[in-house]
Amino acid sequence: MNSSHDRRQFLKSLGISAGAAPFLTGLPGFNSLHAADGNGKKQRVIVMFSPNGTVPEEFWPEGDGKDFKLKRILKPLEPFRNRMTVIHGLSNKVGGDGDRHMRGMSCLLTGTELFPGNIQGGSDTPAGWASGISIDQELKNFFQKNEATRTRFGSLEFGVAVPHRADPWTRMSYAGPNKPVAPIDDPGLMIEKLYGKQRDKASLTGIVDSVSADLKKMSSKLGSEDQQLLTEHLNLIRELEQEISHQGENDTLAHPMPEIDPKIELVNDNTPRISRMQMDLLVNAMANDMTRVATLQFMRSVGQARMQWLGIEEGHHGLSHEPDNNGEAMEKLTKINEWFAGELAYLLKKLSDTPEPGADGSMLDNTLVVWLNELGKGNTHTLDNIPFVLFGGEKATGFQMGRRLNVEKNTPHNRLWLSVAHAMGHRIDTFGTELFCSDGPLKLS
Amino acid sequence: MRSPYPRSLFLILLLTQCFVSAGFVAALDLENHPGKAIYQKQCLECHGETGEGAEDVDADPLVGDRTLESLAGRIERTMPEDNEDDCVGPDAKAVAEYIFHAFYSPAAQAKLNAVTTDITRLTRPQYLNSLADIMGYFRDSHNPPEIDKPGLNATYYASGRFRVDKELAGKDTFKRVDKKVHFDFKSGIPKVPEDKTFIPEEFAMQWDGSIMIEETGVYEFVIRTRNGVFLNLNSYDTNNDNPKVIDGWVAPNNEIRDESAKMFLLGGRRYPLAMRYFKFKADKGYVELLWKKPGGILETIPEKVLTTNWSHPVFTSTAQFPADDRSYGYERGSSVSRQWLDAVTDGAYEAAEYVVENLKDLAKVKKDDPERGKKLREFGAQFPSVAFRRPLKPEEKSLFVDKAFEKHGETDEAIRRIVLLSLTSPRFLYPDTAFDSPTGPWARASTMALALWDSIPNRNLRKAAEQGKLSNAKQVEEKAWQMLHDGRARNKTREFFHHWLELDKAQQVSKDSELFPDFSPEVMADLRTSLELFLDEITWSEKSDYRELLLSDKMFLNERLGKIYGKPEIKGSFQKADLPGQARTGVITHPYLMTAFAYHNNTSPIHRGVFLTRNIAGMTLKPPPEAIEFKDNDFPPHLSMREKVTELTRAKACMACHSMINPLGFSLEHYDAIGRWRAKEEDKPINDDGILETDSGERIEIKGPREVAEFAANSESSHRAFVRQMFHHSVKQPALAYGPETMNQLQQHFQNTNFNIRYLLVKIATLATRPETPKS
Repeated sequence: MNSSHDRRQFLKSLGISAGAAPFLTGLPGFNSLHAADGNGKKQRVIVMFSPNGTVPEEFWPEGDGKDFKLKRILKPLEPFRNRMTVIHGLSNKVGGDGDRHMRGMSCLLTGTELFPGNIQGGSDTPAGWASGISIDQELKNFFQKNEATRTRFGSLEFGVAVPHRADPWTRMSYAGPNKPVAPIDDPGLMIEKLYGKQRDKASLTGIVDSVSADLKKMSSKLGSEDQQLLTEHLNLIRELEQEISHQGENDTLAHPMPEIDPKIELVNDNTPRISRMQMDLLVNAMANDMTRVATLQFMRSVGQARMQWLGIEEGHHGLSHEPDNNGEAMEKLTKINEWFAGELAYLLKKLSDTPEPGADGSMLDNTLVVWLNELGKGNTHTLDNIPFVLFGGEKATGFQMGRRLNVEKNTPHNRLWLSVAHAMGHRIDTFGTELFCSDGPLKLS
Repeated sequence: MRSPYPRSLFLILLLTQCFVSAGFVAALDLENHPGKAIYQKQCLECHGETGEGAEDVDADPLVGDRTLESLAGRIERTMPEDNEDDCVGPDAKAVAEYIFHAFYSPAAQAKLNAVTTDITRLTRPQYLNSLADIMGYFRDSHNPPEIDKPGLNATYYASGRFRVDKELAGKDTFKRVDKKVHFDFKSGIPKVPEDKTFIPEEFAMQWDGSIMIEETGVYEFVIRTRNGVFLNLNSYDTNNDNPKVIDGWVAPNNEIRDESAKMFLLGGRRYPLAMRYFKFKADKGYVELLWKKPGGILETIPEKVLTTNWSHPVFTSTAQFPADDRSYGYERGSSVSRQWLDAVTDGAYEAAEYVVENLKDLAKVKKDDPERGKKLREFGAQFPSVAFRRPLKPEEKSLFVDKAFEKHGETDEAIRRIVLLSLTSPRFLYPDTAFDSPTGPWARASTMALALWDSIPNRNLRKAAEQGKLSNAKQVEEKAWQMLHDGRARNKTREFFHHWLELDKAQQVSKDSELFPDFSPEVMADLRTSLELFLDEITWSEKSDYRELLLSDKMFLNERLGKIYGKPEIKGSFQKADLPGQARTGVITHPYLMTAFAYHNNTSPIHRGVFLTRNIAGMTLKPPPEAIEFKDNDFPPHLSMREKVTELTRAKACMACHSMINPLGFSLEHYDAIGRWRAKEEDKPINDDGILETDSGERIEIKGPREVAEFAANSESSHRAFVRQMFHHSVKQPALAYGPETMNQLQQHFQNTNFNIRYLLVKIATLATRPETPKS
């Protein structure tokens, strides 16, 4: 079946979103709610995670400073070359319990140790949840405290192909110690959260037609007194019919809900479609100022996604353990990471194509996007030289973009989170384990 | 005259008369009846041509439930107003007979305004149960009424990762049945057979089976543990990678913590349950599975609701319905609203998604099944037939089934459409409209399923309809007996008792903690269990004797209740106990009701009296003309509660009803505000004597609750009220619509079967199918 046609017939919420209108790009914001604050400055952060380490040889750009050349993995992001900072030298220095995948994942945004616990990884001691809040939730709390930056959700946690199990490998966002936040990896659920219950117009119309015909037929067989209840039912159905035909007319959203099939089956092979749906929803939610903080988590640490859409049969994590001299595996891992970069490019394009509501420029100008991984490299499980890349958000952060930045070897990644917090106006002295914050925020501006 | 006591809405004093009971219809020549002339001369002016009454003279319509004798007695004593001697003796009898048969009695009313069944929609419970059973039909689910194999299957592993090492030849695993999940392993290991090798460092368990849900509502499940756990409920999954109700796999710091989740579940059904636990490199091990039932307290899930038998998942819609209309005294689907329409639409969408997600076991079709198309068509054709409770007519098959496949091919989308259209169709939502005749076999099957289960016919009942085995009263009755042996029938009957005994009112009870330091929510929850055990035991026993509900001197007590209610020797969980010297008599003195019908610091003879008058003795009380608050502090402290209430209600206007209410309420004065027996009210003696003035003017001396219970157990008006309420609860239509003799037949039958409740349920379901052609 023609999938674009299939998608088109889906879903328009009752009275919330515009009938068959596609996602509106290139339109100014509709109302002041969505305008930037007094200084014309709106600040947003998106963190995108992909698992199992990268292929350093194909990831790190050649050169230094503004003079750098993208290699295969970052190539899909070439259009954003001038808007990215590739940071080399950051390490996750948090030690303690848990194997490196666990710490890689659950200390990534928290910068603090895991509690001792019962979850045993492939090595090291067993561990529990992270013992502190993650940077996205910290910023959410900061924004929600202030009327000018408060939004309906504060933060949204998107997932793509995250398995239904809660452990330190599947959670990176924490509302506090022992409080992991589960990402929503079902676009249908996310739509419901953002826009309320969805009904597909075609099927609703089908119901209305069928029930009206039925009610009329049944009524004709009844005495007048018995007809009354069915007549009332029929009147309600007519009311519903009116609503369906008028839906979208009183749209209050600056950016109507994207057209997305909420019934998509959450299976491995649908991952590429789910990924795009989640990114459409993410940008839409931000365009409508439902949130200023979001995370987007692909799979999980140790995830075994089988990317058959790239012609790869093996599970991702299994491949990541292959030695460097396994050329075939390295090629596949490079392809996998290229695919993640391509997905990120879609997200960035969407942000840069969408004008900032009520201000000049695009959403990307005010949105800092951070792409990261729980490991530096899969087969060594190193937590050093984790591939951190920043994009956009120049207006929001004042960060200087368009460069490869080499920070001192073994710089704790806590310092990056300090920089991000400070850039957002949240002037904290430490984040996560205090010890790693003594040198203060990284200089990124 | 102004009452010396301030007014408010808190306590209601009731004015006007209590009307009781009706008699049989006889063939009479009403036109030439001697009573007619008397009526026209002495009564018509105020009461109107056909007893319709008139507001200006304060004459309510002459319609009611009294017996002919009672009516005559009342006329003799009270009519005509201010000239009571003008109509006495044979005159009173004659005019009573005329009034009774011309318009007063329900049967006369039925003749005047032909009472018919109303077209109603499914009530909320009927809707939810029907949806659950439509899915259950395709899984061939059953709802046995009782637990036969209590406990849960347990598999123990010496590995914290549920691994079995073949080389250990079974030394590292074993199975057994655990009665409940509640273990404190401390730093040790579980109890294991001698030949097993377990070490404290790591071990794991899986439990599975089913949980019996007795009452519909929101249940909170809690796992209290120091270790890793998950819980799956109402799903086929036991795999850790699938969605779970509780995911507590991660256990930081080996500390005790509660992992919880809430679920809405349907009463009278079993839900499959699977739970896993593991301990790994931690010092201590602890695990306990608890729940909080609707209105209950947090408690370990008891053995009596767990069974090792596995069961199918139950589709439990989460659609949010508005409350059903209760203005007739029972819930019925007599109105529709936008909220209702939205709820049935939501429910249909939810069901459509569920069906598509579960096609594998509902339509027995796998994704890559070579016969997928054929199987989807079969399923698609069957679905509306199950929902409409009968085979489809050709034009329905074309409309509901063929069109969907034409439009969408043999796809999930076609199935979705069929489910949506079936479940929003009036044929599903208004069961009566789906049948050409109410006495056809399919209509009868539908009527019985609604009356006994609040649901749709199952495979067995459909088969009976198909084979023409519901064609007479005997066959219907036989089938109804089978249907009674079902969790859903238990659930529906339990709901009747909730309604009859007004158990909902007891939900928010609180008591003065200084006066009643032993009282707590736990006590109230135990009392409720005690009452439910009592009701269940009597109802589902062989005798199933209604009178036992009122007369039994036994009570179920556990250790906690034993201490409070005079049986400190009771240890552990519930057992049946005698309470000599406490004059206990069935539900009438059950502490749960005594507590609910009382103030937070004192008894309330009026609340108790009204409850006994209406619900137990079966008399109707009209609303009071004015409301007066009972304020304890307004009375001199030396007065007893009885004296205070007597004082408060002494006005003639009050006594019209309180002459009935008060003595009934006073009879229970030996039970304090939490239903404990007391010999004295503080230092004041208790007088529980009284004189009941019955509707026919008879004055009966009663002493204490026992005599009240005996009076009620043997009174026709009590029986009639019980039968009528049961009929309404089961059928959700007026009994008269099933013929003027229906109530009399049922009452007679109730009496003939020694007041057997189960027999009554069967008889009601049978009569509701109109097994004999009603006389025109």
